[in-house]
Amino acid sequence: MFFKDSPHFRTLLRPLMAVGLAILVTIPLWRIRDALTLANFSLIYLLLTLVIAIWLGTVPSLMAAFVSFFCFNFFLIKPYYTLTVADPRELLDLFIFLLVALITGQLAAYARRQAEVARHRASEQNILYELSSAFNRLNEREDIYRTLQNVVQENLPVVTCTVQASHETAPPDVDQTTIYLLIGMNEQVYGTLRANFSAQPVEAQRRFLMACVVQAAMALQRIELAEDVQRSRAIEEADRLKTTLLHAVSHDLRTPITIIKTAASNLQSLREQMSPVEKQEIAQVIEQEADTLNRLVGNLLDMSRLQAGALKLHEDWTAVSEIAGDVAAQAWQRHQSTRIRLDFPDDMPLVRCDQGLMLQALGNITNNALRYEPPESQVEIRGAFDEQEVQLVVVNHGATILPEEKTHIMEPFYRGGDGQIGLGLAISQGIVAAHKGRIRVEDTPGGGATFIIILPRSPMEGQTDADIDRG
Amino acid sequence: MLILIVDDEPQIRKLLQTGLIGHGYEVVTAADGVEALTAVRQHHPDLLVLDIALGSGPDGLDVCQRLRQWSQVPIIMLSVHGDERSKVQALNAGADDYLTKPFSMKELQARIQAVLRRVAMEPATTPTATIVVGDLKIDLAKHLVTLAGEEVHFTPIEYDILCLLATHPGQIMTHRTILSKVWGADYADMTHYVRIYINQIRKKLQEDPAANVRYILNEPGIGYRFVDIA
Repeated sequence: MFFKDSPHFRTLLRPLMAVGLAILVTIPLWRIRDALTLANFSLIYLLLTLVIAIWLGTVPSLMAAFVSFFCFNFFLIKPYYTLTVADPRELLDLFIFLLVALITGQLAAYARRQAEVARHRASEQNILYELSSAFNRLNEREDIYRTLQNVVQENLPVVTCTVQASHETAPPDVDQTTIYLLIGMNEQVYGTLRANFSAQPVEAQRRFLMACVVQAAMALQRIELAEDVQRSRAIEEADRLKTTLLHAVSHDLRTPITIIKTAASNLQSLREQMSPVEKQEIAQVIEQEADTLNRLVGNLLDMSRLQAGALKLHEDWTAVSEIAGDVAAQAWQRHQSTRIRLDFPDDMPLVRCDQGLMLQALGNITNNALRYEPPESQVEIRGAFDEQEVQLVVVNHGATILPEEKTHIMEPFYRGGDGQIGLGLAISQGIVAAHKGRIRVEDTPGGGATFIIILPRSPMEGQTDADIDRG
Repeated sequence: MLILIVDDEPQIRKLLQTGLIGHGYEVVTAADGVEALTAVRQHHPDLLVLDIALGSGPDGLDVCQRLRQWSQVPIIMLSVHGDERSKVQALNAGADDYLTKPFSMKELQARIQAVLRRVAMEPATTPTATIVVGDLKIDLAKHLVTLAGEEVHFTPIEYDILCLLATHPGQIMTHRTILSKVWGADYADMTHYVRIYINQIRKKLQEDPAANVRYILNEPGIGYRFVDIA
């Protein structure tokens, strides 16, 4: 409770305490007044005034000085119980005592005030220090506003304190007890603070409030700068991607276009000299290259959609074994032989995902695994699950991926050993990440790479098998 | 056989026309939805090849919905990759099949044949028929399913789903269709029911997609399709 001192204690109780103490000290002195000299009395009362000045402040020390002067005169100097003094030298002593008591009292009280101010300052510094380190740990604007509000409410005698992120600049109807401050730095306004004090705030309270607000503004500026940095990093990343994209477009897209164009113009100009078999071959080439082009364009579109965060998920409860089945069937269509081994537990749970996109993600990873699979073995697609996650494990038995390659393998446009542009794995990565999942790459025991798609399990809205068996 | 091609791209219209005429069909074309509706009234085509995106005016989905109010002409929708929503809408609106662009002439030709064959044999799929695909034999009259001569036991719901799919070979059944036909219209949104049951049916049918043994095919995000018994 800094700055929150009861005013009544200061104005009434303290002077009363000073008077009481002066009387209390007089009683034993009065009992032994014959054994002591005038000098003893003056020094004892001076000491009392000094102590009261240091302990209780200016007004109580003044009171103590005057009461001491009275008691001294009335009870301790002959003739007793009168305010007259027999010896004029004693009268001089008495007035010098009063003067000294008043001066030392004032000096001591001043020293006390200074000490109090210093203590307040130190405590203020301490609170501000703690505040600034607290602000440094916070990364949300809302938390900063809340912390500022709490600090003001705890340390200042305010009735209400509201901190808002609004940017209004004109202070509305401010009276003597209300302080309205803009939380801002370098003409940038991050919010406003309105503190309603119980009484008109003193300078120190104002100053403390301002200091808190400055700390908050600095913290808010720091958050803004951090966000700026992140934004510009994202822009840089997009730029880098655009450059690689241009390279990819110029090479990997132009190749099939060139082939198609050449084939079509050959067909046009040489069709009379061509045998039907040759024409058929050329037509096949055109179709193949169009497929390649279609796949590439699709991948590029998907990649840019993922990068732009424009991918819309149509999530539904999905059996991942169904997806793996499609991937396996596609592989059979392409190779006309069983190149994949499926292994899914009977109680494999359903997962909420976009089936089409997940098919693409698993398909890309599996095709990549098939490309490096020795002809005598098969790629395995396994399902596994625990309480939190569902795993799709794609096991390849080819060469083990080098550690430095592992870190790049998921990056877009990374060219593997065969020089093909790698968009597939990056797209898989993006799709899985969009489902709040992740892909892990491990070494297959005995050689090869194992890719693990890990998806979070979402709770099924309480339905049982009984529920499914016809309502 | 008269086929109406509806596509807003003149080049695609021309190529499809050439291709289909080459395969022995008669072809009329329309460039937008309004033209398409007029053409159906004028020419009474046997089948429509209808692009979902049609530039201005009513799109393929609208055309499909409007046609279904008075015509049962078979419709094959054309769409671009990734537009599952429109495909489901088109199928629910009464389209018979869809094809994703780009496709080969061979694929389109196969789909057209399959749809026309289904339309022709529709009255034949009475409950007395027996369906045979590879090792699988479904005796609809006796409610008996055998796999390579061995009887396979299904629960009533599993059997209903299998029958629904098997009596519509090659035809896409959306999740919604399966749910409302097997469980009732109130269950139309509970797609996970279908997945759990299809999974069980597949196990009992001993499907092995890695070895190309499949009876029920997935249409990701749309539904299922029983293999075409061509």
